[in-house]
Order: sequence, then structure tokens, then C-alpha cells
Amino acid sequence: MAIEGADIVKAAAFIGAGLAMGFGAIGPGVGEGFAAGKACEAIGKKPEEAGLLTRTMLVGQAVSESTGIYSLVIALLLLFVV
Amino acid sequence: MDELTEIPQMTLEFFGINLVFNTQTILMTWVVMAALIGFGFLATKKIGFLPNPFQVVGELLVTVFQGLTLDALGEDLAKKYFPLICGLFMFLLLSNWLGIIPELSEPTKDLNTPLGLGIMGFCIAHYSGIKAKGFKAYVKGYTEPIIFLAPLNVIGEISKVISISFRLFGNIMGGAIIILVVSHLVYSLILPPALNLFFGLFVGTIQAFVFTMLTLVYISVQVN
Amino acid sequence: MFTDVATIIKLASFGGAGICIGLGAIGAAVGEGYTAGMANLSISHKPERSGDIMKNMLVGQAVAESAGIFALVIAIVLIFMDASSTNLLTAAALFGAGICMGFGAIGSGIGSGYPGGEACLGLSRQPSVSNRLMTNMLIGSAVCQTPAIFSMVVSLMLIFKNIGDLPLAPTWAALLGAGISTGVAAIGSGMGGGMTAGASCESIARNPETLGRVTTTMLVGQAVSQTPSIFGLLVSFILMFKTFPESSTLSAAMALLGAGICMGFGGIGPGIGNGMTAQGAVKWVSRNIEAAGELMRTMLVGQAVSQSTAIYAMVISLVLVFVV
Repeated sequence: MAIEGADIVKAAAFIGAGLAMGFGAIGPGVGEGFAAGKACEAIGKKPEEAGLLTRTMLVGQAVSESTGIYSLVIALLLLFVV
Repeated sequence: MDELTEIPQMTLEFFGINLVFNTQTILMTWVVMAALIGFGFLATKKIGFLPNPFQVVGELLVTVFQGLTLDALGEDLAKKYFPLICGLFMFLLLSNWLGIIPELSEPTKDLNTPLGLGIMGFCIAHYSGIKAKGFKAYVKGYTEPIIFLAPLNVIGEISKVISISFRLFGNIMGGAIIILVVSHLVYSLILPPALNLFFGLFVGTIQAFVFTMLTLVYISVQVN
Repeated sequence: MFTDVATIIKLASFGGAGICIGLGAIGAAVGEGYTAGMANLSISHKPERSGDIMKNMLVGQAVAESAGIFALVIAIVLIFMDASSTNLLTAAALFGAGICMGFGAIGSGIGSGYPGGEACLGLSRQPSVSNRLMTNMLIGSAVCQTPAIFSMVVSLMLIFKNIGDLPLAPTWAALLGAGISTGVAAIGSGMGGGMTAGASCESIARNPETLGRVTTTMLVGQAVSQTPSIFGLLVSFILMFKTFPESSTLSAAMALLGAGICMGFGGIGPGIGNGMTAQGAVKWVSRNIEAAGELMRTMLVGQAVSQSTAIYAMVISLVLVFVV
């Protein structure tokens, strides 16, 4: 196998993109799911506040998703810019 | 297994640009639209106190989605967006169910359909957001909590389109591939009908509902 | 050192078999232990029902065991199969099959333990509904075996894949990636589905009249929690069935391996998170049945949003396969 410098850099960028998005997705997935679970419990306790609770859930999830979006940005940078 | 990669294509030249169409998707979308128009005709033909079966289904859909849009958007906007939401759900539901009939395939299996619908929802949500809050407040929403995060907020908004459309595409395509592969492995005995029941009817219904609800939620987040 | 192709293939299949049963034993053991612990707790509450509880524990453990049995089957096939191939790719396919089933059994094994344990605990609380509890437990734990079954399907397809004379250079990475994608993504969905099923058993024991709504909510929640593993399966199939042009560069291979790793690990978190959401919803359906519709809707929206990172992982995987 002919391995050159540029090839190694590309290979590292590709595997790095995979690792970045793959491991980066774990945390937000669990966190957002936890938020949604708690929102469901809260709605069970107080169904009349459902609208407010759903909105709060969505805002909280959007914030906890930001690390997932950072991973996505880094993965795309590694794929297309480096 | 060749069915997996085979896409019937048609190329048209349009002012020097080659436009490529997936003929199967277009045909299946027409089938769904024709079926929905037929359903609408049958449901409203003879509206009576003793409803015919189609009228019952129609009334059920209308009541459920009227309630949902009313909860999310409030009195005024609900009247405006309810037909869109209800129509979107009926289209997606029938599209996802179409694959259980032999020789037909789901139009949502082609990424173009969910992506198109996702972009449509995105545009409508942002249009209604600008209209409800005014352009200044809309732009200001991106600079929160600090102005440096604006590019990431924009990416976050765009990635909503990706997530909503790839969710539908991945579920329907994944289900179709599993059914195809298992049918090959067991020579189309016994198992495929059960899989069609699960992936075609059950997952198809859930995903149609999720797509519709998310479109509604995106609109309501922009408006409020 | 190893110039002989047959030796390397043997090496890969034995190594794969070891990884397969080694990893595959983790989940089932943890799950069964949880069930047994809960059964003990339950017997301490109601010693006079010990026979019923013991029976329920054994049935629950038998279902949790099946994930371990899948891994055992694949390991035995890997050890005893007679690979008379002369293509080195077979080694990658066999090793990938072992990794796939090994990781794939973890989640379902742990997950199936939850409904078993909660059903045992429920028996001490509501002995009169033991039949309904056991039926619900069996449905719930059967559904959370689905990711393990996906992994077994992919493993068997990798083992019996007709390698022919596909080019070695990037395809080895595609086959390994296919194994990692389905196998690792199954961890999250299996555990998530198990949490949901556990909550439903607890709910039925608390309020048996709500059985219908609880089971429906559980099934919907589990079906949505399985989405990440379906994405993993999608990426695996693409990696297995697409033919990649021969290329001796390292980057082509790493792109395919990266696609598998990305989708595999990206599926873990959303699978568990979706399970947590469904757990919360199912619990409160039984406590407040009037809010069932509201809960189902919130659950679906919450799950859909928390899946978005799995979808980003799928997008990156597809870009790695098709674009670069």
C-alpha cells in the first residue's frame, strides 16, 4: 500500500469526523431524552400546564443539543475544509 | 438484491440544465394525491347526520388535528394553518402505507420527498415567525444569548430541516430494506407480512404523526 | 509471518468468535442479575408468593438470556464454519460479524432485565394481576430483543456473504464498518426499549385498569426508540451492498470505517435517551390516565428532538460513504 503524507492526513480527517460525530452524539442524545422524560412526568402531574411545559422542554433540548451541533460542525469542517 | 440500487430516472433538458427526475417517486406521489382527492370527494359527497364510513374518518382526522393546532398556535393562527397540518398528515400517512401494496413503493422512501416537505415546513415556520414578531425581533432571536453564537444558531435552525427529513427517510428506507432482505432470506414465506404490518403500518403511522407534529412545533416555536 | 491466507482467515474467525461471546455475555448477565435481585426483593415483601415470583423470574431471565444465546450461536458458527475462501476479505467479514453480534447483544440483554425485574416486584404488590403482568413483560422484552435480532441478521449476512473477487483495499473497511454500525447502535436502542418495558410493568402493577393505554404507549415508545438501530442497519446495508472501486489509499478505507463508527456510536445516546423519555411517559400514563393523549404527544415530540443527534451521525456517515 502506497501511503503518502497527504493520504494519511485525509485518512485521519475522515476517521476523526466519524469519531467526532459518533461520540459527540452520545451526550446530547441521553441528555435530551432525560429532559423529555422529566417533561412527560411533569405533564402527568399537571396536565393543564402542558403548553408551557412542552415549550420549556423544547428550549432545554435546543440548548443541550448545542454540543451535538458543535460536533456536527467539526465533523463537516474535517470532511470538507481540511 | 438489485432492487436496492435501481432508480428509474428520466432526464429533461431545461434551458441548458439537465433535470433528473425519479419517475417512480413522481408516479407514486400522483397515486397518493389521486387517492386523497378521491377520499375527500367521498367524505364530503353526502354529508349527513348518519355519516358514511369516509365521513367518519374525515371527521375524526379533522377533529384531532383541529385540537392539536389549537393547542399549539392559538385561535387565530390555528384557523390558518390547520388545513396545511391536516393535509400534510394525510399525505404522509398514505405515502408511508403505500409500500405494503405489492408493486407500489412509498414516495417517502426517496429522500427528495421528505426533504422537500421539510424545506416547505421550514419556510412556512420562518415566514410566520417574521410575520408574527416583526423582522427586527426575528433577527434578534439569533443573537441570543450572545452575538457570537449567531452562526451556530443559524446552523442549528438549518439542521432542523436535516433532522426532520432524514428521520422520515431513514425510518421508511430502513424498513423497506429490512423487508426486502428478510424476504430474500426466507424466500418470502411467513415473516414478510408481519414485518410489513410493523414497518409499513405501525412505524409509518408514527413517523407521519411525528413529522406533522414537528412541523407544527417548529411553527409554534417561531411564532411564540 | 502470516503469509498464508487460510491462517489469517482462521485467526479472524476465532478472534471474532471470542469477542462475540465475550461482549455478548455482558448484557445478558447484567440483565438477569437485575431480575434476580428484584425477585429477591419481591420475595422479601411477600414470602408466601415465592412460587409465582420464582416462575416469573425464570421466564423473564429466559428472555433476557436469548440475547446471549444469539451471541453464542454466532460464535459457534464462526468457530466451526469451513471458510474455503482464498480472498483475504473473508477475514474482515468474519471479524466484523463477531464484533456486530458481540456489541449488539449488550443492550438487549441489559434492557430485557428491566421488565423482568419490575414484573417480579409488581407481583408482590398486585398478585391478582400476575397473568397480565407476565404477558406485558413478555411483549415488552420481546420487542427490546429486536436490536439484537438486527445484529444477528447483519452478522449472518456478513458470514455468508458471497465475497467473490471484490477488491480488498477499501472493502475490508466497509465490512468491518457494517458490523460496527449495527452492533454498536443496537446498544442504545436495546437499553432504551428495556427501560420503557420496565416502566410499563411497574405501571401495570400500580394501576392494573390502565393496562390497554400503558401497553400502547410502551409499544409506541419502544418503536421510536428503535429508530437509531434502524439507522445503524441502513448504514450497514449500504456498506455491505455498495461496490467500492479499488483504491490503495488509506483515506478511502478510513472513510468507510469512519462511517460505521460514526453511526454506531452515534446511535447509543439517542437510543438510551428515547428510552428515558418513554419511561417517564409510560409511568405517568398509569398515574394520570386522563393525560394519556397529552403524554403520548409530548413523548413523541421529545423523542423526535432527542433523536436529532443520531440523524446528524447518519448524515455524516452517508457523506463519508457517498461524497468523499
